[in-house]
Amino acid sequence: MAVPTLLLISVIVFALIRLIPGDPALLMLGDMADPQSLADMRSSLGLDHSVVTQYLIWIKSVLSGDLGMSISSRQPVLELLIERFSVSATVVLVAVLLATLLAVPVGLLAAWKQNSALDLGLVATATLLLSVPSFWLGLLLLYVFGIQLGWLPVIGYVGFASDPMKAVTYVVLPIITLTLVEFGAIARMARASTIEVLRLEYIAHARAKGLSEGAVLWKHALRNAFAPTWTLIGLILGNLLGGIAVLETVFTLPGIGRLMVDAIFSRDYPVLQGCLLLVTCIYVLVNLLVDLLYPLFDPRVKL
Amino acid sequence: MNSYVKTALAVALSACTFSMAIAQDKVISVGLNGDIRNTDPGVNRDDNTDAVMMHIVEGLVAYREDTSIAPMLASAVAVSSDGLRYTFSLRDGVHFQNGQLLTARDVQWTWRRYLDPKTQWRCLAEFDGRGAAKIVDVATPDPKTVVFTLDQANGLFLAAMARPDCAGSGILHPDSLAADGSWRAPIGTGPFTLGKWQKGQYVELDRFKEYTPRAEAEADGYTGNKQAFVDKVRFEVIPDSASAKAALLSGGVDLLPDVTAMDAAQLKQVKNLQIQVSPIMTISGLLFQTRDPLLKDVRIRRAVALSLDYAQMVAALSDGLSVVNNSVIPTASPYYDDTARQGYTYNLDEARRLLKEAGYGGEKIRMLVNKRYPQMFDMGLLSQAMTQAAGLNIEMETLEWGTQLERYQTGSYQMMSFSYSGRFDAAQSYESVIGDKQKEPRKVWDNPEALAILREAQREVDPAKRQPLFDKLHTLMLKDVPMVVIYNGTAIGAMGKRVEGYRSWPVAKPRLWGVKLADTSK
Repeated sequence: MAVPTLLLISVIVFALIRLIPGDPALLMLGDMADPQSLADMRSSLGLDHSVVTQYLIWIKSVLSGDLGMSISSRQPVLELLIERFSVSATVVLVAVLLATLLAVPVGLLAAWKQNSALDLGLVATATLLLSVPSFWLGLLLLYVFGIQLGWLPVIGYVGFASDPMKAVTYVVLPIITLTLVEFGAIARMARASTIEVLRLEYIAHARAKGLSEGAVLWKHALRNAFAPTWTLIGLILGNLLGGIAVLETVFTLPGIGRLMVDAIFSRDYPVLQGCLLLVTCIYVLVNLLVDLLYPLFDPRVKL
Repeated sequence: MNSYVKTALAVALSACTFSMAIAQDKVISVGLNGDIRNTDPGVNRDDNTDAVMMHIVEGLVAYREDTSIAPMLASAVAVSSDGLRYTFSLRDGVHFQNGQLLTARDVQWTWRRYLDPKTQWRCLAEFDGRGAAKIVDVATPDPKTVVFTLDQANGLFLAAMARPDCAGSGILHPDSLAADGSWRAPIGTGPFTLGKWQKGQYVELDRFKEYTPRAEAEADGYTGNKQAFVDKVRFEVIPDSASAKAALLSGGVDLLPDVTAMDAAQLKQVKNLQIQVSPIMTISGLLFQTRDPLLKDVRIRRAVALSLDYAQMVAALSDGLSVVNNSVIPTASPYYDDTARQGYTYNLDEARRLLKEAGYGGEKIRMLVNKRYPQMFDMGLLSQAMTQAAGLNIEMETLEWGTQLERYQTGSYQMMSFSYSGRFDAAQSYESVIGDKQKEPRKVWDNPEALAILREAQREVDPAKRQPLFDKLHTLMLKDVPMVVIYNGTAIGAMGKRVEGYRSWPVAKPRLWGVKLADTSK
């Protein structure tokens, strides 16, 4: 089933991109382009073939592991994707991990103290962070830590391979921004599912046995309450690994989101096709992983 | 003094010298709104690519500060009386960045490569017969002389050669190519060499220590004495303007070559920053599709032209930094004279009269705009509001830039708010708007008389004889109203106080030679 599914996805991806109006050759040559130069450029980019021929040429090379060359930079698309994806993945994985580590205990705490002042405060904070646009938060952090305090660089990126210590300084702000943004959604889900679980009889039984509240929450409630949160984390991860274009633009990170946005503006079809295929595969893989790990949290679920 | 002490002193002295050397390395960082595409000059390029490449390569001629043409690698240019032969005498002792001396053979090799369609050089169309003339031969009668022979006289030959989007037709050393003929890296004669290019992040240029400057006292546009005073230029890729501003305020970059008028007004208030403004050669205005059933009537087009309060509009669009210009010839052009200064006068009564005479009954006119370039959107918005007072019913349709550009190219619009990228010769400016719509639907002015005058201006070499031709074209355009030019843009550079010697200029590209970084530690 996987092969026909991927083929179908490839057709959809290819066709959707071609539906966007705009000519890559014209965008490259600009308003000075004469008809002959445009025709020559289109020919050199392989755009003078029929759409079906273009698709067949592309899919044949994809199946042999070659995603083609970027129209703009003439770099191999696969090389570009690997380079850029590693940047986005670093930020996303660390941010989602941090957000989970913070949000789950907060959600548990809020559920345990439901309707108290603490609960209301935590819910309000989570809702506020959920509502704030990520780019605004990012710019605010840039202003405070980059400009006013001068503690962290405002632009640029250094890879971990070249200088790990310096690399950390460049990703701290985007990670913090993303952590805060995702914290809200995860905390609220954790709270809601914990409230459901805390109403169940076995929790009352555990309390009646004389277990501490800590043991009740962490050993008994969390395992059952975490499952829906885990699903949400999977969806968030799949979504974010497809690119955090806005944050990458604000923090000048050379990630996959920015690559995709630039490719859309320049109609860089091979890059766009490559990105969409990658994003689709990641989404499928992440959700598959989530499903595979589900029984760890809820043994009642069988694969 | 015992040997141990001597050694210790020697080591200490070396360490001091070494640290002083590092401290003396001057690096200027410049914000670019997008990565460069390529390092092959004039091939697969965009504005940012041109801006960087013009620091590495130099052509035979180049644009001066006032956008006239002057020799660069040539010491002199002689044109034959029939305008068919251009003889370039090369300067003595010019070195490539690999240490080799520049000879006529290198010029010939470079041009043969540019003229080969396989190179996909941006400006091939200017020189292969599709443009005003065709290069039929590039000869090297001696090691210091190159002779270009054209098939017909072409007053734009030198201007086309100097175009920044052609990378100034920069002369390359053959070692720029690998043994198999594929592109390796640019080896030019410019004041900087290509350093590290971290794609998507930054491009670094290193000062070419053996650069051979011209004898003039100072730089003059892309020519003159282009001695570099910084050791390294780092072009940082910052796509977002808010992030770029933040980088400038935090000292993350030293210079932003192109900020908006609104940002400039804010940055001017900041103590440690300075602003540099220059008019540039972009042409912004409203285009009409003269084949449209409604807009084919010149009275309706003239009514639009007369219903715009240009002074108010330009003050709003440019934050008071630009002036009104109804001519296709930019104000910074040497051909901008008293005739070019003539334009449309705001006259609502006359606009209404013309509309009535034309039988205009309030039919909707669709104007295309985009938000990628805010000045185009704002120009459209202001035009729509102002023309309403005359009774015109203009509706804005906002498109994505790529889509609007396609509609422009195919002529599929009624009206559009548009900005042409800078052309540095008046004939090039007119060439962008005049033409046969059957063959090139993007052209807005399909007038055989105008086309004939333009062809004459393109062939004529003498500026004194070209001026009356441009005057005639402007007068004819004001009568025909195929478009309404509103203003030319500005290049606004914002930089830290320690940056000295940087100037914005009409070609709108940053120039980092001649720029110093003051020592702010004292």
